[in-house]
Amino acid sequence: MTSMTSSFAEVTVGSLTDDLRDEGYISDRGLSTTLLLALRLGKPLLLEGEVGVGKTELARTLAKMLGRDLIRLQCYEGIDMHHALYEWDYARQMLFVRSLSDAEVATSDEDLFGPRFLVERPLLQAVRAGDRCVLLIDEVDRADDEFEAFLLELLSDFQVTIPEVGTIAAETRPIVILTSNRTRELHDALKRRCLYTWIGFPEQDREIDIVRSRLPQVGPILASQVVAAVNKLRAMELEKLPGVAETIDWTESLDALGVQSLTEEAALDTLGAIVKDRDDLEYTAKSVRDVLS
Amino acid sequence: MSSADQIDALLVGFGHALREAGLSIGTDDLLTFCAGVAELDVTDLMDVYWAGRAALVRRREYVPIYNEIFQRYFFDNDISGAAEHQKKMKSSSNAGATVEIPNTEEGLPGEISPDEVKLGYVASTSEIYRHKAFADCTDQELRQLRRLMARMRVTPPKRRTHRMTRSRKPATIDMRRMVRESMRALGEPRELSFKKRKEKLRPLVLILDVSGSMADYSRNLLQFAYSARRANAKVDVFCFGTRLTRVTKSLDRRSPDDAMRLAGESVLDWDGGTRIGDSLRQFTREARRSRLGRGAIVVICSDGLDRGEPQELAEAMESLARIAHRVLWVNPHRGDAITYVPATLGMIVADPFIDEVHSGHNLASLERLADRLTKVG
Repeated sequence: MTSMTSSFAEVTVGSLTDDLRDEGYISDRGLSTTLLLALRLGKPLLLEGEVGVGKTELARTLAKMLGRDLIRLQCYEGIDMHHALYEWDYARQMLFVRSLSDAEVATSDEDLFGPRFLVERPLLQAVRAGDRCVLLIDEVDRADDEFEAFLLELLSDFQVTIPEVGTIAAETRPIVILTSNRTRELHDALKRRCLYTWIGFPEQDREIDIVRSRLPQVGPILASQVVAAVNKLRAMELEKLPGVAETIDWTESLDALGVQSLTEEAALDTLGAIVKDRDDLEYTAKSVRDVLS
Repeated sequence: MSSADQIDALLVGFGHALREAGLSIGTDDLLTFCAGVAELDVTDLMDVYWAGRAALVRRREYVPIYNEIFQRYFFDNDISGAAEHQKKMKSSSNAGATVEIPNTEEGLPGEISPDEVKLGYVASTSEIYRHKAFADCTDQELRQLRRLMARMRVTPPKRRTHRMTRSRKPATIDMRRMVRESMRALGEPRELSFKKRKEKLRPLVLILDVSGSMADYSRNLLQFAYSARRANAKVDVFCFGTRLTRVTKSLDRRSPDDAMRLAGESVLDWDGGTRIGDSLRQFTREARRSRLGRGAIVVICSDGLDRGEPQELAEAMESLARIAHRVLWVNPHRGDAITYVPATLGMIVADPFIDEVHSGHNLASLERLADRLTKVG
């Protein structure tokens, strides 16, 4: 365990926050502390939060910051082992079998189901890459709960058993980040394996920071106006609350139109960048004055 | 005792305080917490706070509880009074939205509109009874209705599982099987094999209000439990008044009446008033630990007259809605009206988390429910 975690011994909460900031990710104390613990203790980090608050982005930034590969597994309903872990290259196997002579076929089983024809999917790639990668298991709440049970096994031992090949164990642990939009409750057993943190919408000042670090060309006035307006929107009873990603989108759209300061007209023109639900759109368009005041 | 031991004892004590407050915290979580604090600065309370939040809190809802216990434990600062006060404020403002809170347990006169059936030339007597509210039936009519009910068939909808099975019809090509088989034919692929996902019946969970006026309606739903069982589905039945009791075992009895009597014996609180929120909370707590109710069709039978905190009911329903696949609510007060407006505080609070509301007050509506049960999905 020590060999796996020692590399982060000199990192502190402050230095981690700074490093993330250098890569354009503005973190707060809670998130940095949790992330640091995940790195030091070698535990997976489960990030839950509203849509568009930068869960996926954190993994991406972390990989960039540490100079590691990002291996991403996007979960979806019906995802199974063959999408997530490994699959045999059947087409090549077929060709290979056909090219064999009669005598060879009898003894070719080992070759046929060997590393040559193994297609590595994200999880197996991550086990092989070990500490050279950051593994992002994105939107794990979308997968079926059987898949969670399967993840459990992987996250506790970081080893994979392929019947024809044998057990492949990670020499070093990859950094694992799981994200969930909380469309359903994850099983407690999975949560137990992870450190948990909830990412909420950032405070106003931090969000301005985020916008400005993402879009350095945008003036401070526009950035703070947009963030103030978005915060008003979040306080309204919308079907879908705008996330930080939407704030950035909106600012970018306004900037692209050459807007220096947020006016009612400019807001109405670009409302589609921030409110993405028809009912919400009608409602916001009507009360745009309140939003900007 | 070394200072490190003292610190660990302090941290473990904090974990225990959280456990007492209802958070489920395992020893492994405490180990993670202590290891986490050791990696950080133990003299900095913010570090202790965040290490604990990362290791011990697994749900967003627990954060306020965590904050409260943290305050109390490390600062000896009792803010629970304030929190309690806030909670009360919240629930009383919610209560302002009520339309009416009937204060009797018995069905209100006029609330269940007896469906007057025009007795013309009707094909059979069962047709007459079909639309007559149970509350207006004579004993003999009820007995006949029960015979009809016993003939109802409920098969819960299917869900696709993770496993694949061979498919006769063209579907996804099963390359694995084909390669294996072509090995036998010296690499010559013979015919296409297909695979498809296996299907399983969704489990059915009945949560029945057995207090006062609701017991009769709940009994009718038990028929569904029997029928679904016959189709080989997993069925679980719970009864509640003030507390939740699992009565699945009583389904082993052959007749619904026997089962209901047996259930009655194991339910101790027939006339204690209903605490729906509290009972559902018990259910979700249980469900979180086991696979109970996951992906299930949950049918709740109650009139929504809740004696507990509305806030609690809302939280329980939210968590139930997330665990279950579909939540159906049977409320005999709903009647036959096409548009339905929740009237009691309990129903208003629970409404956003319910997929469908049925009335179940006569045979026709039970049949409709049986029909929906096999189709929701």
